Amino acid sequence: MENESTLSDALLRQLIAVGQTDILVGLPTLNNATTIVGVVRAVHECFTRDFPRLRTVMINSDGGSTDGTPDLIRDASFAEADMVQTSHSLRTLHRVVAPYHGLPGKHTALRTVFAAGELMQAKVVVVIDPSGPATTAERVTELIGPIARSDVEFLAPRYRRHPRDGVLITQLARPLVRALYGVALDEPLGSEFACSGRFASHCLEQDIWNHEAARFAIDLWLRTEALAERFVVGQIWRPATTAAGTRTTLREAVRQVVLSLIESLRAHEPFWLKADGMAALRTWGTDPLVVPDAATWDYQTLAEHARHDIVEITPLLEEVLEPALLARLMDESPGARSQLDDELWVRSVYAFAAATRVGRTSIEHLADMLAPLYMWRAAAFMSHTESESPAIVQARLDSLCETFLRLKPALVARWSAEV
Amino acid sequence: MIQEIANALVQSWRNFATAFVLFVPRLVAATVIFAGGFVVSLLVRRAVQRLLAWLGAGRLSERTGASEMLRKAGMPTAERLIAKIVFWIVWIGFIVSAVDTLQFEPFQGLVEEFFRFVPRFLVALLVLAIGFLAGNFLWRAALLASVNAGLPGARVLSGALRILVIAIGVVMALEQLGLATAVVLTAFSIAFGALMLGLAIAFGLGGRNAAKQLLEQQLQAKKKRDEDAAPHL
Repeated sequence: MENESTLSDALLRQLIAVGQTDILVGLPTLNNATTIVGVVRAVHECFTRDFPRLRTVMINSDGGSTDGTPDLIRDASFAEADMVQTSHSLRTLHRVVAPYHGLPGKHTALRTVFAAGELMQAKVVVVIDPSGPATTAERVTELIGPIARSDVEFLAPRYRRHPRDGVLITQLARPLVRALYGVALDEPLGSEFACSGRFASHCLEQDIWNHEAARFAIDLWLRTEALAERFVVGQIWRPATTAAGTRTTLREAVRQVVLSLIESLRAHEPFWLKADGMAALRTWGTDPLVVPDAATWDYQTLAEHARHDIVEITPLLEEVLEPALLARLMDESPGARSQLDDELWVRSVYAFAAATRVGRTSIEHLADMLAPLYMWRAAAFMSHTESESPAIVQARLDSLCETFLRLKPALVARWSAEV
Repeated sequence: MIQEIANALVQSWRNFATAFVLFVPRLVAATVIFAGGFVVSLLVRRAVQRLLAWLGAGRLSERTGASEMLRKAGMPTAERLIAKIVFWIVWIGFIVSAVDTLQFEPFQGLVEEFFRFVPRFLVALLVLAIGFLAGNFLWRAALLASVNAGLPGARVLSGALRILVIAIGVVMALEQLGLATAVVLTAFSIAFGALMLGLAIAFGLGGRNAAKQLLEQQLQAKKKRDEDAAPHL
């Protein structure tokens, strides 16, 4: 049994004591002491107020917090004076706290949550990001509702962003995933989600969990796995998240995103090679409509770094990019004001994707090589859209997605040639 | 006197005739071995080339970057190169056998020597290939790491590393072949030692302040280059 090897004996005993459940909320934590109490109370309020007749459980899978996060969860009171409870749960509220064992990383925490869900035959599994925006009972309920009451089996968050925000998502992850999987998914990398117990069990059977890249690729993989295996996928409006607390450097972030994308491409090759078109996804929740301000950052310095790095790694780029493509890139001379047009960017991304198939250069090296190109693209995009209205910038993003889709046959041909 | 001269001449002629009679069959055999060996070597070469093509050696060579290196060096493809090497090993084997058949005193034991040499030659080739692959891999890794770290002269640094690793591979291969081992090792040690000593002296004496400045700038530059990922996610 998958469960037996994933769950520790102590956790197994706790779960067996709880028995079957309808809704499981998972909280993967790592040093979230500042926010976790509010999240726990919100989850309990949601259980008590909105699902009093259902069997519910909240499972914390902790990655070894040193700030007492598990203790705070254990001790968190949910009978606060300022919490207005309109109803009381007809069932016992269960709260299970367990450190996960196995490889360190979010994927192991999720695996523990999924395994618990399978063991307890949960119908709905929700994963909340404790470091995300303030979690309220309403927001937890919003995540549970569509899975519990409709045929959707995977619910991905959708954020109202400024179109100049999240450039790594809008210039690479989103258009690539959309073009390859043929689905208008907005946020391929969000950390919160809800899914059916069936989907959780399906994921447990896959061999992603022991992959090194799964440590950071799991969020993307879950979404693409749901798409590739034809589970009904939907989106839900969520409050915009901010990555301001992240300690990751840009190059490391590019590396992780590229490795995640390649992990998914490899896993779902039979699906995306044949997928075409662009299907819309049903969206739940309320569109916030108000577009937040775009983050400001020094893209001119980024362009200088990109220019320097591209010149330095030209001999490596020669191994990946076709001579004509490389010549065009070099002619453009990377810089904040220089244009790296959509087609050139997309062809470059596809050349890198195809190179991972050839296997001549390690994927980690390819990811590092793509970073300066991305930096150039990001700087050029920011420069060109500096004085444009959000609507025009959004049109540019849509056009980029179309270019990814239009040029996809070139990637399919190159990828298939290497089979 | 004349009789003795005549006897000597006759004896000499008889010796020559006997030696010639003994030599001709060996010469014919050697010629047959030489010519037959050439044909066999050609057939082996063709067979090896086809076998390698069937095994997908071309793709492997593309993947490892060997093809690119061979192209840059103006050499044939990996399959052809290996087939050529096999051709020459087989044919030289036949040539050595042919020479041995002639039973010339100075070439006695040549066949044994040759067959003792072939495994060493193959191991040397393997060492050389590994040296090239390792050199290339390290070059790529060092170039990317130093570019990411914002080190000045990333290409020079990684190029030097590649040359060093390949040079070590070449020296190891030559040592395996037993070719002027002492000379090669001594030359390598002197060159490597001189290079390191030169760098140490240049850095320690001449460039102490410059090195300090460089490291400080480097630290500053690294902090500046570590752009925050937050606005991109």
